[in-house]
Formats: sequence, structure tokens, C-alpha cells
Amino acid sequence: MKLFDGVAGKLIPLVLMLCAGCTSTTVDEFRQGETGIASHETVVILGRRQAGNRETSGDFVDCVADRLAQGANGLGVVPEQEFLDAMFPWFEPRTAPMQPEQLARLMVEEQVALTMRDFGVRYIIWVDGFTERLNRQGSISCTVAPGGAGCFGYGTWEDDASFRSEIWDVNNFNDVGTISTDASGQSFVPALVIPIPLIARVEANACQRLGDQLKDFVIGS
Amino acid sequence: MTNPAISICRILLPALLLSACGANSVVISGSFPTPNIGKLPIDLAVVYDDNLLDFMYTEYSETGQEEYYIQSGQSHIQLFNAVLPAMFDNVTFVDNLEAAADSGADAIFVPNIEEFQLALPAKTRLDVYEVWIKYNMRLLTAEGAYLADWELTSYGKTPTETFLTTESAINDAAVVALRDLASTFALSFARVPEISAWLANR
Repeated sequence: MKLFDGVAGKLIPLVLMLCAGCTSTTVDEFRQGETGIASHETVVILGRRQAGNRETSGDFVDCVADRLAQGANGLGVVPEQEFLDAMFPWFEPRTAPMQPEQLARLMVEEQVALTMRDFGVRYIIWVDGFTERLNRQGSISCTVAPGGAGCFGYGTWEDDASFRSEIWDVNNFNDVGTISTDASGQSFVPALVIPIPLIARVEANACQRLGDQLKDFVIGS
Repeated sequence: MTNPAISICRILLPALLLSACGANSVVISGSFPTPNIGKLPIDLAVVYDDNLLDFMYTEYSETGQEEYYIQSGQSHIQLFNAVLPAMFDNVTFVDNLEAAADSGADAIFVPNIEEFQLALPAKTRLDVYEVWIKYNMRLLTAEGAYLADWELTSYGKTPTETFLTTESAINDAAVVALRDLASTFALSFARVPEISAWLANR
């Protein structure tokens, strides 16, 4: 008992805390055009939702948008839903342009061009990807008795996030670059009376890294 | 237009009947944007058939039990009421074809639902709820003669992890499908061959 109070008592929480931070993230950038943005110009982040059995989460798109808008060098970001509603029906899953050339054809429509100008959109950033949960293992059982309640067991899983973003220049109708991010991490929930969730912030890390990289890319630094 | 008392009965009566059953009832509700497109120079009368107004789909479990009642008639009316005035110069909503003929409109539009399908993750083993709807759209002359009759399909899906309840997930997938209907209808209306020819001859 004294051993648990001593070395093990300090080591177990430390190991668990370290494991909770076990998230690895890689970012890959491919630039194929010059970028830069004026103070009156904005960007819009749009999720791709054409795939059959999955779609880019609106929460992830909002997270990246918030990241771009944050900080001293924060960009003007048009909220996704506001843009989609104002542009309806041109940017819906079945009608959205898949290539910059299709955007050029779309901008011939007077209403589309006017709305784009009203928002001041300089870059459209398409985000496509998802987070997958893999390798769920372990089990936790909980009991309630007259004398009290408690849980015992252990659960773990791996989250794997993979997102790809394409940056389109609305002024020149070209694809100026692509930034991809992959993140993975292991989460643990040990339960010794009380379950202690140690969750790897995989999607949050992917959002943070992608958002920061996109901001630098658009600014041109 | 329909008497408000009748409209309330249309909503309340099925709800009361359904509350006595074991299946869950989902009344589709959402908000729909107006299309950002140029208006067509048409004076249109719109008739909502009772089949559309009272449309309800029943989803059965794998054992054949009634599992979900999905009422989407009123949400379709809400959608068309938002979309049509943005597409045409003048739109009049009337109760029946006789009233439409008396309205002096250029054409009469009668939308209807032909088929509704729901795919639940528990059955498909996919991580999405899916709704698929097939429509029959009819456009008649002011005198009630045939102008065009065409089919449209709409599709909506929503991921499983976002929602706490199956009911809210079904609702959101249906709202996405309705949005898909509105976008397809708005962009394809003038391209229907019969309508395109009619517009060219006006």
C-alpha cells in the first residue's frame, strides 16, 4: 500500500497523462501559385460533402475557420452556412464546382458574382476528410450496490484524422495550393472506481495545425 | 388557401393517433434558403395535392414492426413556399385546379412525392443516416392541359456521430434531402425539354 502511495502513486498518473498527449500530426504543403490577401478581402472554408458513406464534419470546418480568424494576423472568414445559404443553390453537394474552371463558369452567373463580391471572398478553401475510430479494445463494467457504486476495467481506441484542403484563388480562378494534414492518437479510459478518460485530441490537433498552416499560406509568408 | 382549422387538424389528428402506438414519430422541420437565381417571367399558380400535404412514410423494423412515422408534408410546403416565389415573377397558391384556372396564371404547378426511402445505420452498417425521395412534378396550362411531367430525386445524409437521437438524425438527413430537391429543381426547371420549348414559344 505504501508503495502505491509512493513511487507508483506518482508514476501511474504521470504515465497516463503522457499517454493522453500521444498524438502525432503531420502537415504537408504543396504550393503552385503566389498568394496574398488585402485587409478588405475574406476567405471562406467549405467542407466537401460529395462522398457516399462519409462527409466532412461541419464542426471541423468551423474549427479551421475559427483558427484562421484568430490572432493578431487573423483573416476575415465568411461563416460556411452563411455563405452556402447566400449562394444557394450553387454550392450544394450536387451543384458545387469541383474544379477552379467550373468556378469560372459559375461566376458568369450575375447573382453568384455579386454575392461573391459582397462577401469580398478572395480564396475558397475546400476541406475534405474525416476522422476514423479504430482498434477499440478493453471493457469497463460498473456496479451499483447499497453500499456505493464503482467501475472497473480499461478501454482504449485509436483515432485517425486525415484532411486535405485545396485553396482556390477567386480572382484568377486557379488552384494555388494544397495542404494536407494527418493526425493519429491513442485514447485511454482506465477505471478504478471512477473512469478517468484520457482522450487524445486528434481532430483538435489536426484542426489547429491545418488552420495555422492555411493562414500562413494565404498571407503568403 | 386552406382553412387554418383544417390545417391544424391535419397535423394534430395523425399525431394523436400515432401517440397511441409504439413507433416513434418524426415531424420533419427545418429552414430553407431562397434561391439566388434570376426569376423566370412566368405567372404561376401552385396546387398542393392532399397526398403531399399529408405525406407520411412508415419505416418498418427488420421484424416487420412499425418503427418510425416520418411526416414531411408540411416541410415540403414550407420549402416550396420559400423556393417558388424566388424562381418566378408571380406565384399564387391555390386550393385546387379550378381555383388555379380562375387565377389567370400562365401555368399551374402540381408537385407530388412518389417514393420515400430511409436508410438507418443499424440496417446498412454505414456511419450515415440517408433519406432518398422521388418526386413527380407536373406543369399544366391554365386550362389544365398537359405541359410537362417529370421526375426528380433528392438525397440527403447525415453522419451518426453528430447526433444524440435517431429522430434528430433522420430530421437532419431529410432537411438535407429537401435542400437537394430545392437546388436541383431551381437549376433544372427551365432545362426540362417540354418547359424549355414552352418558354421559347411564349
